[in-house]
Amino acid sequence: MKEERIKRILLTLGILFVIVFCLLPFAWMVAVSFSETPDFLIRGNYGFTIKNYLDILRLENLHFLDYLKNSLLVSGIVAIFSALIGALAAYAVSRLSFPGKVVIVLSVLALSMFPQISVVGYLYKFMSNIGWINTYNAMIFPYVAFSLPLAFWMLMSYFSQIPKEIDDAALVDGANRFQTLVRVILPITLPGFLSAILLLFMFSFNEFLFALMLTTDFRARTVPVGIALFQGLHGELPWGYIMAASAISSIPVILIALFFQRRIIQGLTRGAVKQ
Amino acid sequence: MNREIREAFFFILPLGIFVLLLMLLPVIGSFWISLWQDVSFLPRKFTGLGNYFRLFKDFQFWQSAGFTLIFSFASVTLEMVAGTIIALVLNESFRFRGIMRGTALLPWAIPSVIGARIWQLIYRYDYGLANYVLRGTSGLSVNWLGSSGGAFLSLVLADSWRTTPFVAIILLAGLQSVPQGLYEQAKIDGANLFQRFFKVTLPVIKPVVIVALIFRTIDALRVFDIIYVITGGGPGGFTTSVSLYSYKYFLLGDFGYGSTVSIFLFIIAFTVAFLYIRAGRFREAAL
Repeated sequence: MKEERIKRILLTLGILFVIVFCLLPFAWMVAVSFSETPDFLIRGNYGFTIKNYLDILRLENLHFLDYLKNSLLVSGIVAIFSALIGALAAYAVSRLSFPGKVVIVLSVLALSMFPQISVVGYLYKFMSNIGWINTYNAMIFPYVAFSLPLAFWMLMSYFSQIPKEIDDAALVDGANRFQTLVRVILPITLPGFLSAILLLFMFSFNEFLFALMLTTDFRARTVPVGIALFQGLHGELPWGYIMAASAISSIPVILIALFFQRRIIQGLTRGAVKQ
Repeated sequence: MNREIREAFFFILPLGIFVLLLMLLPVIGSFWISLWQDVSFLPRKFTGLGNYFRLFKDFQFWQSAGFTLIFSFASVTLEMVAGTIIALVLNESFRFRGIMRGTALLPWAIPSVIGARIWQLIYRYDYGLANYVLRGTSGLSVNWLGSSGGAFLSLVLADSWRTTPFVAIILLAGLQSVPQGLYEQAKIDGANLFQRFFKVTLPVIKPVVIVALIFRTIDALRVFDIIYVITGGGPGGFTTSVSLYSYKYFLLGDFGYGSTVSIFLFIIAFTVAFLYIRAGRFREAAL
């Protein structure tokens, strides 16, 4: 059939578009990271090397491993706390009846659109006053707050799929609400809960503005800030290092995206599509 | 009944405390700071709405507001088109579709700063990939980051690359909710592929399109990371977004005026969010 053929051609073109559009910049990043010089395109001489990788892992004055450690720790802690706090609120909204529920849900939705720049000036002053500049705490607390709307919406959509009768059975057996959440609801929704944690991890791992304002050096600075502020000795940007650092730092989130794409897509869209 | 209200209160309390102390209070704090002359090494002085009058007369601020608006419009438009194409592709069934869906997520999954660094190097005048391809095909070189038009286009492309996956995912969910029966009916009525898209698919996914549109618009109005990295606001301040404009005042130690700019952005973003929540049918969705 003619139309089937048009569709086949369009689909093939579409798949090619997705591949080129999404992967070409990554290929460029990897190519530069393995080259002796970033200008290999005009030099015509690629010069394969793993020196960039070895250097950023070995040279201590570049502090890349410090940035990575800070990023992983901060994001991990934030993801877990945010998921737990979000789970409590999501449980209440999906299970209990109380006045003002709609207002709470809509407020949380509105909070997810908060511009970070509108709080960062105040946070900087506040964190300076309590001596938290350049500490993990300076990032962890604002990150938890700013990722809570995402945690809340994702978990609420998972929880509301579980029939309330399951709670009632546990309550009859003498469990209180908190025990019901921890022993009954969380185990049932465990895959959803874990994917929420992964998405929250990505959220914090990628954050830039707060980390830029609230940290000053390698003791707390995270990967995005480290990569944004990478400077060469003589003014020229050390592109090989930047791309090698970028490639290594992308690995955790790339793995999450590839292995959990189904859950991430579900988690992100539940709220949007329900009508 | 009373007990449930009490339980609900304690379950929501931790979220409430975080939101109150780290989101609401800081915004009020920023507003309070914006009422002062608050510059490093100068005595603090209460000026009331003085900073806001200064804002309205500040030509550079209006230039950055204009840039932010046009940037958001261009970038969101491009994302919606590219996102629709990707969503349509990912909605078809073919081998390795799962891997393709994962692949399509990647630009959005990595830190925005990393994406920005990659594009910054792509745009490099002498040995960047963009000019290499251009020279090879047309013999031209574009001064991507050194001219205002080039810088604008560069930022729009880089931002669209990063956020198109998000749009595609939201639209994909919409596509999956289109009843197959509608397509069968349209086919029987003799509608071709394109007519089916415009007459069946688009009207059905319209609510989802609006959700993606508004989420992305608010996000684009706050743009900071990629501009900070790729152009730093240049050339000549031309690509300074409102967020970056505010940040630059913080950097100078002028917290009063920086906060004023950021409160302005807050009001704009919140107005859009408010209209969105009013327009969307979230009331039923929530419960």
